[in-house]
Amino acid sequence: MHEVHLSHRPISVMTAVNFGDLKISQNPAETLVAFSIGSGMVVSIHDPVLKAGGVLNFVLPDSMTMLPEKAERYPYMFADTGLPVLLEALLDIGTKTENVKVVIAGGAQVMDQNGGFNIGLKNHRAAAAFFMDKNMSIDHQDIGGISRRTLRLDIGSGYNIIQTLGQAEVQV
Amino acid sequence: MTNIDDIISGIDTLKPIPPVAAQIMALAEDEYSSMSDIADLIVHDPSITASLLKICNSAYFGLSRQIESVRDAITLLGLDQIIELILLNGTAENFKDEPDGYGLGEGELWHHAVLSAHVAKVLAENTGWTSNKHLIFTAALLKDIGKIIMGRYVAFSYEKINILVHSKGYSFNEAEKEIIGMNHEELGARIGKKWRFGDKLIYMIGNHHMTDETCRNDPETALVYLADIVCMMIGFGTSLDGLAYRFYGEVLDRMNLTEKDLQNVIFDTGESRQKIEKLLNLV
Repeated sequence: MHEVHLSHRPISVMTAVNFGDLKISQNPAETLVAFSIGSGMVVSIHDPVLKAGGVLNFVLPDSMTMLPEKAERYPYMFADTGLPVLLEALLDIGTKTENVKVVIAGGAQVMDQNGGFNIGLKNHRAAAAFFMDKNMSIDHQDIGGISRRTLRLDIGSGYNIIQTLGQAEVQV
Repeated sequence: MTNIDDIISGIDTLKPIPPVAAQIMALAEDEYSSMSDIADLIVHDPSITASLLKICNSAYFGLSRQIESVRDAITLLGLDQIIELILLNGTAENFKDEPDGYGLGEGELWHHAVLSAHVAKVLAENTGWTSNKHLIFTAALLKDIGKIIMGRYVAFSYEKINILVHSKGYSFNEAEKEIIGMNHEELGARIGKKWRFGDKLIYMIGNHHMTDETCRNDPETALVYLADIVCMMIGFGTSLDGLAYRFYGEVLDRMNLTEKDLQNVIFDTGESRQKIEKLLNLV
C-alpha cells in the first residue's frame, strides 16, 4: 500500500471582514481582508509572537448616539463597542499588548465635509483615543483623503497590505 | 477635449428601458396619477408577468404559497415592492455591464445604483416625502446611468482628471467637465431626454451632485444627493472617483436632517446591505 504524503503547507484562505464585522484568526495561512473602506475605519492588530491577529471594520464613532438595541445587534458597527471586543479577544488568547502591531486605515471624507458631518474624521479620532487610553501606539495609519481603500492582514507574516484605489499598494 | 457628439452618440448603444418600467416612471412623476393607475398598468402588462412571478416565488421572499398571478403578487408583497422590482428589473441590463474607466468591479455600478435607491427611499420615508417615493427611488437608481457611456472617456483621460482632483481640488464631476467637456450628470440627463423621461426625473439625474446652487432647494433632488453621499461614505460601489464629490451641509439643514439622522441612515444601510445584495442576484 502506498503512503499518501500530504503537503505540510496549509491551504491559504482569505476571509472577508465585512462592513460592521470583526474577525480574529490564529491560522497562519489565513488573510483577513476588509474591502471598500470609505469613511469607516479598519483596525488591524497582529501579534507576531502568537501569530494571531484580528481586524475590525467599524463605520461609526459612537454607539451612544443611537438606540442601545442597535449597538447590541451590531456592536462591531461602532468604535466604542467594537474596539474593546477586538482587543479583549486577542488578550484572551494570550496576546500581550507590548508585542502587537496596530495598523489603521480608512476615515475618508467627502470633499468639504467639515464640522459635525465629518464622520471619517470622527472615526479616526475614536480609534486614536481608544489606543491612547490603553497606552498602545498605532504603528501605521493610512487615513483621510477622498479615496476608498482595501486592507489585507496576513496572519502568518503580520504584513498589512493597504490598497488605495488608483495608487500602488503599500505593505506595512 | 473630446467631441461631445461622439459621447452623445453612445446613448444609442444602451439597451432601452422596457415600456412597462418607463410607463411606471411616467406615472410616478404625474401628480394626477394614483397608485391604482400603476397597479392597473402592471396587472395588464403580460410582458412582465413571467419574470415578476419568478422573482416573487424565489426563496428570497419566503412565501408560504406559490404566487400565480401579478394580482396575487401585489396582494402578498405590496404594490410598492412590486413597483420597485419592475424598476430594478427594467434597468438592470445596462448597469450590469462594467463601465471601464471608473475602476469598478463587475456589477459594482449596479450595486451602487440599487443601494442608493434603497437609501433614497428610506430618507424619503424619514423626511415625509413619501408621495414622491417612487420618483425618488427611480432617480437614485438611474442617477449614474451616464457613467455607463462616460467610462471609456474617463479611462482615456484618467491621468488628467486625477491631477485636477488630487492636486487642484476639483471634484470628480468638475474634472470630467473640464477635461472631457461633459460630466456623467449631464450625460445622464441627455439619456433621460432621449428616452423621454419626465422633466423632473431628468432634472434630478442631471443635478444629483448639486453643483448648481439653486437645485439645493429642491427636496427630491436633495434626497437623491444625500443617498449618494451615504453610499460613498460606506464605500459601497465607489471607484476611482471615490468620495471626490462636494458635501453641502446646508442641504441636510434644509431637509431638517441632523448628524445623528445621517449616522442612523448609515447604520440602517449597513444593516440592510446583506438583504439588498441578495435582492440584486434576483433581478
